[in-house]
Amino acid sequence: MNSITTIKTSIIILAISLSLWNCTERIDIELDSTYTRLVVEGYVTSDTAAHWIRLSETSDYFHNQAAPAVTGAEVAIDDGESVHMLTESDTLPGWYLTSPDYHGIPGRTYTLRIRNVDIDKDGMGEEYTAASAMRPVNTIDSIQIEWFDTFVSGYQVRVWAWDSPDPDWYAFKVWKNGVLVTDTLYELIVQNDEFFNGNYTYGIPSQFLSTDKPEEVVEVGDTITFEINGITEEYYNYVIEAQSQVFPQTPLFSGPPANIRTNFDNDAIGFFTAYSVNYSSTIATADIVNGGKP
Amino acid sequence: MRKPLLISLCLIFYILSLLADSEEETGPRYTISGFIKDTGTDEELIGAAVMVQELNRGTVTNVYGFYSLSLPPGFYHLKISYVGYALQELAVNLNENLTFNLELQEQIQELAEVTIRSEGRQAHVRKAEMSVNKLPIKSIKRIPTLMGEVDVIKAIQLLPGVQASSEGASGFSVRGGNPDQNLILLDEATVYNASHLMGFFSVFNNDAIKDVKLYKGDIPADFGGRLSSLLDVRMKEGNLKKFSGSGGIGTISSRLTLEGPIIKDKTSFLVAGRRTYADLFLPFAKDPDVRDNTLFFYDLNLKLNHIFNEKNRLFVSGYLGRDVYANPFARMAFGNQTYTLRWNHLFSSRIFSNFTLIHTRYDYELGTPDGDANSFVWRSKMKDYSAKGDLNFYITPEHTLRFGLISTFHDFEPGSAYGTGEQSLFTEFILPTNYALENGVYVSAEQSFGERWNLRYGLRFSSFHNVGPGTIYNYDEHYNARDSTVYGRGDVYHHFLGLEPRAAVSFMINDVSSIKSSYSRTRQYVHLAQNSTAGTPLDVWFPSTPNVNPQVSDQVAIGYFRNLLDNRLEVSVEAYYKQMRNAIDFKDHANLLLNRYMEGEIRIGEATSYGLEFLLRKNEGRLNGWISYTYSKTTREVPEINDGNPYAAPYDKPHDIAIVGNYEISARLWVSANWVYSTGLPVTFPTGRFEYMGNIAPVYSNRNAYRMPDYHRLDMSVSFGSKPKPDRKWHWDLNLSVYNAYGRKNAWAINFIQDEENPNITHAEMTYLFPVIPALTWNFHF
Repeated sequence: MNSITTIKTSIIILAISLSLWNCTERIDIELDSTYTRLVVEGYVTSDTAAHWIRLSETSDYFHNQAAPAVTGAEVAIDDGESVHMLTESDTLPGWYLTSPDYHGIPGRTYTLRIRNVDIDKDGMGEEYTAASAMRPVNTIDSIQIEWFDTFVSGYQVRVWAWDSPDPDWYAFKVWKNGVLVTDTLYELIVQNDEFFNGNYTYGIPSQFLSTDKPEEVVEVGDTITFEINGITEEYYNYVIEAQSQVFPQTPLFSGPPANIRTNFDNDAIGFFTAYSVNYSSTIATADIVNGGKP
Repeated sequence: MRKPLLISLCLIFYILSLLADSEEETGPRYTISGFIKDTGTDEELIGAAVMVQELNRGTVTNVYGFYSLSLPPGFYHLKISYVGYALQELAVNLNENLTFNLELQEQIQELAEVTIRSEGRQAHVRKAEMSVNKLPIKSIKRIPTLMGEVDVIKAIQLLPGVQASSEGASGFSVRGGNPDQNLILLDEATVYNASHLMGFFSVFNNDAIKDVKLYKGDIPADFGGRLSSLLDVRMKEGNLKKFSGSGGIGTISSRLTLEGPIIKDKTSFLVAGRRTYADLFLPFAKDPDVRDNTLFFYDLNLKLNHIFNEKNRLFVSGYLGRDVYANPFARMAFGNQTYTLRWNHLFSSRIFSNFTLIHTRYDYELGTPDGDANSFVWRSKMKDYSAKGDLNFYITPEHTLRFGLISTFHDFEPGSAYGTGEQSLFTEFILPTNYALENGVYVSAEQSFGERWNLRYGLRFSSFHNVGPGTIYNYDEHYNARDSTVYGRGDVYHHFLGLEPRAAVSFMINDVSSIKSSYSRTRQYVHLAQNSTAGTPLDVWFPSTPNVNPQVSDQVAIGYFRNLLDNRLEVSVEAYYKQMRNAIDFKDHANLLLNRYMEGEIRIGEATSYGLEFLLRKNEGRLNGWISYTYSKTTREVPEINDGNPYAAPYDKPHDIAIVGNYEISARLWVSANWVYSTGLPVTFPTGRFEYMGNIAPVYSNRNAYRMPDYHRLDMSVSFGSKPKPDRKWHWDLNLSVYNAYGRKNAWAINFIQDEENPNITHAEMTYLFPVIPALTWNFHF
């Protein structure tokens, strides 16, 4: 209830009580500038793949261009056993990649070290580090998709799985035919098990494919894959905070705006996290697809 | 536990000594006492003035309409007056104790400007009472409304020093305080959530209300428990003379009030109900998702009173209100209930007493239908049980003494949630219940010295005790819960004790002007976990505990009061300075709902507020209304927030103007308008941005470094009524209200939105709630 249900219910109540009146309009606001900080987005997962770390800079709020990339950095991941150096992408400036056979191991702690960047432009390179443990994740028994059509239209992904008796933090994602469709912070769902620790999920709706987005429209024969990540409590909090600052805020439900936490030192922002991964798939049958279509 | 007992004993001795003294000092005196009532209904008039012409002294009726004057034997002329009522004069030959129950005739405003000689209004200048605003129900009724709902709280938000917490909200901030620092009493029972429908309407049905008084600083010692203000709302008692009723059919709701005698002049009742019917139209909605929704609120006010004899009177009153929203996959309900049983007793013609039993509760429930994996229900409630006794002792016209005590037992059940149905995956989750006992003992006196000086001083002693069973989590220096301590049933495991001195003095410069000054200390032991500006019905109240100290406020104020044009025009200027300790704020990204460790989210600091308030008010005549202007500044300083630097408090609006006017074109036709302007609320905006997972995320300025655009709005209304004739029984009027008449788009929220076409571009987007909103209401009374 911490996240999903509260937010959902809040939004429903808001929808009912405010949709009658509220209107929006663009306005011009002058904002001050702030100093530049290093921004890091990076993941290490239990999948075998080229994992990436993205380095960029903060900019003025109405910069209105892609974030400036930070190139030429020395980026390394240390899992306590060995140090893996990342190489800068030829095509994507500011993206640093591991070798394609790299994978994380649940139980280990990963430390990201970034050297040879000069964000404050004082001619001296700075060093930034962040660390994240990789937690294990349960397997999923099965998933199903089901038409849903109240206020928003699409398919909800229902999940059958056991939650472990330990405290857990999860992230949920959806793939359609091998393409990740929940690819933004808006669409990522994170959940802790505070209110259902150790229980069976009985097909709880856990993700959503919206018919408003062309890439999420489901056709007969599509393979829908649900991805579950075992994440850390810190990353869970990071996502909750980031979402609350990125989603529209209202005087009813939102607290005062506040900066999103980071696990980096040295005034960098963003997050580096390690997580383990499991998948479960289903094929959209004519029954399911047509059952929902009006 | 010894200290409070000792102090209480001291207070009692002090009172007894005063009683003894007064008998000696005053020599032979006789008392004129009684109740002052409305001729038509026998409703007691609160604050009616009784002046003794020969002495140029007087008194005003208390909240039960009682007055008492003890004077040396002699021949006196009394003038009894009340705003909107005809003046009554009385010649008295006082050589024994006399009881005069007086009835005043309500003045029907005629076409010609009526000159009401309002000696009573002089009290505004004379009384050692400041930072107080009283709004006659009649003038509240004429203020243009949002969707036709006449609303006491919206009316007081137009007074100096009072601000709405956000557009259309029932929450209000008094002199920079938080909305939870207002003690809202309905017939002496605390109303914990005064709002309906996300705050757009308040719980007070104007037809059932007799009197509204707001204390913004100089709260009498009789009341305690909140830092900033007291809103004292009294319900009507019910017509003792004849059966009558009033009601209305409005755009969103209808209401009906019936009242009358059960036994003439002895027993009366009042029943008032109001219900919205927006949901009755939902089945006609275009959107099928909306058709199955439920959305309504209702209020029910009940009142019964019985006069046993001249000396004893009993009142029973109740309020029940509830909001319900439901749609196919979620439902929510919340509401207040208050019950008050009061017994007025006259120990003598000079000692008036009232004993009260109060029960009040607030609860909410949120849930989803059964049968699914995420089916759940979540409930929260709080209950108060109070017993109270107050005595007013009218020693001489120059000296009145009041004393009493109140004890309240609080029961907080902040939240329990569990899955419903076989399939639900949710386990039971119950936050520990908290019990506490809150006590207050007070004594206060009003005294006049010579012709010019009036003094009011009082002392309140309050205490708060956490009572078991209870679970208290212990926190380390990083606010992480270390462990917990469990207390057994009946364990009184923590105490807070405090003195709250209150004092006010007025100096009459001449007959029409005075200077007043006041000091008050207030302590608050229960707090609201509200982190958003407008607040929601889901916000929970929590008590002071070993982890949360009571909030304490010290306020000083000085003011100049003057009546102009034969007392028809009131002018006041007040300056105040207020310091609040243990002010409650919450850490960044606080989670206040269903959180075991909610106390770990609290950050304590100091708040300071100062301001200057001007009020020009005309209560009578064809043109009446007021102009108010407030300049104020409120800052908070909390070590862990905003790097420990001071920041503008959430309700800090430096400039605030309200102009309220009502003009009677004829006895059948009147127009009203009000215009408000205020500086935008402080807000935190991004000064930088970064990309993460395909979205643009903000890097913020310091806390509240920016301001929303300025707020202004004009509301207007025109009413047309039936012809006033003395013998007419049935009266009606039709009211057309227009809220936000010039369609100002006042920003309710400002969000920064990523462009849908080009995700690199961000826009500032404001949300406004109300365009021009007209509403039609038909009212009647008989």
